[in-house]
Amino acid sequence: MIPFSRRAVLMGLGAAGLSAAVPGPAKAQNPFQRIDGRPWFFLSDAEARFFAAAGDTLIPGDEFPSATQAGVVDFIDLQLAGPYGQGATLYLKGPFPQGTSAQGWQMPYTPADLFRRGIALMGDSGTPLADLDAEGRNDAMTRLSEGETDIGPDIPATGLFDELWALVREGYFADPIYGGNRDYAGWEMVGFPGAHAYYLDFVEVNAPYPVQPRGIAHVPGTNRPAEFPGARRGG
Amino acid sequence: MVTTLPKTDVVIVGAGWTGLAAAYELAHNGQRCVVLERGSYRHDATDFAGPEEHDELKYARRKEHMIDTPVKTLSFRNNRDEQALPMRRLGSFLPGKGLGGAGIHWNGQLWRPLPSDLEMRSHYTDRYGASILDGMTVQDWGVTYDELEPHLDFFDRICGTAGIAGNIGGEIQEGGNPFEGPRSAPYPNPPMKTPPPLQRFHDAAQGMGLHPFQMPSANVTQSYENPYGAQLHPCTYCGFCERFGCGYYAKADPIICIYDRLKGHENFELRFETHVLRVEKSSDGQTVTGVTYVDAEGREVFQPADVVCLNAYGLWNVHLMLVSGLGERYDPATGEGTLGRNYAYQTIAAVSVIFEEDVWSNPFIGAGALGMTVDDYNGDNFDHTGLGFVGGGYISANQTNGRPINYQPVPPGTPSWGLEWKQALRETYAHHVGIVCHGSSMSVPENYLDLDPTWTDDYGQPLLRLTFDFPDNDRRMAAWVLDRAEEIARNMEGVRHISTSNNAAEGEAYSIVPYQTTHNTGGAVMGTDPATSVVNRYGQHWDYHNVFVFGACLFPQNLGYNPTGPLMGLAYWTIEHMKRDYLPDPRPLMDA
Ligand SMILES: Cc1cc2nc3c(=O)[nH]c(=O)nc-3n(C[C@H](O)[C@H](O)[C@H](O)COP(=O)(O)OP(=O)(O)OC[C@H]3O[C@@H](n4cnc5c(N)ncnc54)[C@H](O)[C@@H]3O)c2cc1C
Repeated sequence: MIPFSRRAVLMGLGAAGLSAAVPGPAKAQNPFQRIDGRPWFFLSDAEARFFAAAGDTLIPGDEFPSATQAGVVDFIDLQLAGPYGQGATLYLKGPFPQGTSAQGWQMPYTPADLFRRGIALMGDSGTPLADLDAEGRNDAMTRLSEGETDIGPDIPATGLFDELWALVREGYFADPIYGGNRDYAGWEMVGFPGAHAYYLDFVEVNAPYPVQPRGIAHVPGTNRPAEFPGARRGG
Repeated sequence: MVTTLPKTDVVIVGAGWTGLAAAYELAHNGQRCVVLERGSYRHDATDFAGPEEHDELKYARRKEHMIDTPVKTLSFRNNRDEQALPMRRLGSFLPGKGLGGAGIHWNGQLWRPLPSDLEMRSHYTDRYGASILDGMTVQDWGVTYDELEPHLDFFDRICGTAGIAGNIGGEIQEGGNPFEGPRSAPYPNPPMKTPPPLQRFHDAAQGMGLHPFQMPSANVTQSYENPYGAQLHPCTYCGFCERFGCGYYAKADPIICIYDRLKGHENFELRFETHVLRVEKSSDGQTVTGVTYVDAEGREVFQPADVVCLNAYGLWNVHLMLVSGLGERYDPATGEGTLGRNYAYQTIAAVSVIFEEDVWSNPFIGAGALGMTVDDYNGDNFDHTGLGFVGGGYISANQTNGRPINYQPVPPGTPSWGLEWKQALRETYAHHVGIVCHGSSMSVPENYLDLDPTWTDDYGQPLLRLTFDFPDNDRRMAAWVLDRAEEIARNMEGVRHISTSNNAAEGEAYSIVPYQTTHNTGGAVMGTDPATSVVNRYGQHWDYHNVFVFGACLFPQNLGYNPTGPLMGLAYWTIEHMKRDYLPDPRPLMDA
């Protein structure tokens, strides 16, 4: 595989692109800014573009970052390269007859294989997701989630969608040590204070919790104005 | 080649709640105990401390404390017309592996059965006539509440359970659960705190004439020393409870409550990474000789023992008995056989409550057993005449485990992704509470466990095969109890939206995919008649008198409560009879 950079991938998203859809907190123009220049661990160029386009359709930017701005593509890259992607949580002994939905995952693939094949097959049968405009991406995600995208007999579209949507949400809300939830984007948005959890004095209080998020690596959050925590979220 | 080791008095398969309790009591009674545990050593102090333990991705999503599904799983189908397929990924339930078993990543909701629950067939037959149980294989447990009470009480003290007693020696107590059986003593610790949403649930329920109380909790509320000398500390409401170990020493678990107080004992030996393959039968036809296991290097080892205790978690106890040929396999076509019969589960429905924006639930503040509960619709606490079902469930507003990947409430009708979803989530997250209907599960002839004909585990043994769907009785029960819960929600103050979900909704098959509970029951049930039970009322195998079985596999049908209180009461009951009656004179403790 030819090495390529995150910047190259971003440029490849082009005018249809995600940055156009993003209003702009100044810090978030380039989703891959931080680790730009390093190659992906698992993803190909086209796969990274797929995840960026899908991620920003599922979690678009508004006054809070989009999925890619929050590092979700970096997260997915690391996850697919790691134990999860390589099937460490799956029983993968054959045979693989088709099951009912109540029987769960019956695909003969690791998650990494599933996405590699799924994205390639979807690309074969139509315009790549990253080359569609925002409306086209929305339609494509809707069709995938409703099982209407034909990805061939081996991969149920809803199976692929469910795995994709789970990964995107994990990337947005998991501890930042995994590469996503950058600057606590997801935690800031909902008001989750993170890993240093000790609430004995606050259990019975009916008020927003007045502490900035902090993850496992102890890096304090920076986004939220300290004087009124919770101000940036609704409700 | 199999290595044969020197004989021990007792071999115990599994180092979870039941296995370590058995080891503690029997080692102190003078028996040399060898505990075999397929997982590894781990400890609250060194492995579960925050902030590292507070990693939702690693523990709640990738489930690192739990069973190694690629190596060992089971297969599943809804009914006999389907082909069972492997559960390829954990979902509906999350068995444990490693020191402490599932007891390290539980919630600590610590209940006891109702007196009438334990005599279910007799009780319902007396009150409503036998036909109310038509089509179900519901049975009496063979042990009464009064017999179990001292052991239920002892386990409350092992855990430092927090709560308000509702009934002490027959006297109803203010603020507790008035429906519970008589207790010999109050809870050892005061109840948990009450966050704003739970207070609202309390007030609504009380206003409707119901009887709300704080859920009994093994998340300890003050510094506490248990009867074995273990020190527990107050819960911090950190919200990383279910699926996590507790580094605060606040959630009772088998490591801090039992293992630490036992580990130096001369009669106790624990071997990690030893996977027991089978129990070996003696040629006398009445006893077993020990167990064969495979160690970390892949060597087969035979451990002879005078007594074998099965403490591998209910499902895997049944699997071990099936692959070892201990007892007659149940055949749903004929109704013959007992091993694998009467598998049951838990019937869960829920109400999702979204508050106005001035009510802050802050759901990340929570504890595994932080709940406000009513028991008015559980068991036979209400008149079932004309309702068309037996059983019931507790209804509880729980503030547990509100972590941001798994806990993403949005109002009904919200799109499931995109901008609108994103906005709805951030407006809802801190203003939401869930109300669970934790329903019973009746045993029926078509729900059972046996061995899979196709798939094997990494040890070359056939997978356990689970055939299960929600019985019609339980679907009717769940719908009815859910209506009651919704009424309470409607009476809560400051509520903006209410929606409901029901795992056992009419027309929906039980699914192995979404998490429900790790409350798998039955398959090796206890009783007084060998035609309908695998073990007698002491947990002793009917056919092989030196085999004792522990865990929820003993339940003839499942209660409307979480299982660990009841199954630990049974464990201490079994242990007492082993110590007092069996070990001095090994023999069947009941006539078949
Ligand atoms: C997420 C979750 C939440 C829960 N919350 C609650 C709750 O709030 N209240 C409640 O009452 N209950 C709860 N439970 C259930 C509770 O954890 C179990 O009832 C309890 O742990 C059962 O104890 P046990 O000794 O039967 O099995 P376990 O504690 O599971 O121990 C069994 C041990 O046996 C070992 N083993 C299995 N097979 C073999 C073999 N072949 N060879 C050697 N070793 C073997 C396993 O590795 C394991 O360590 C919860 C469970 C889970 C998973």
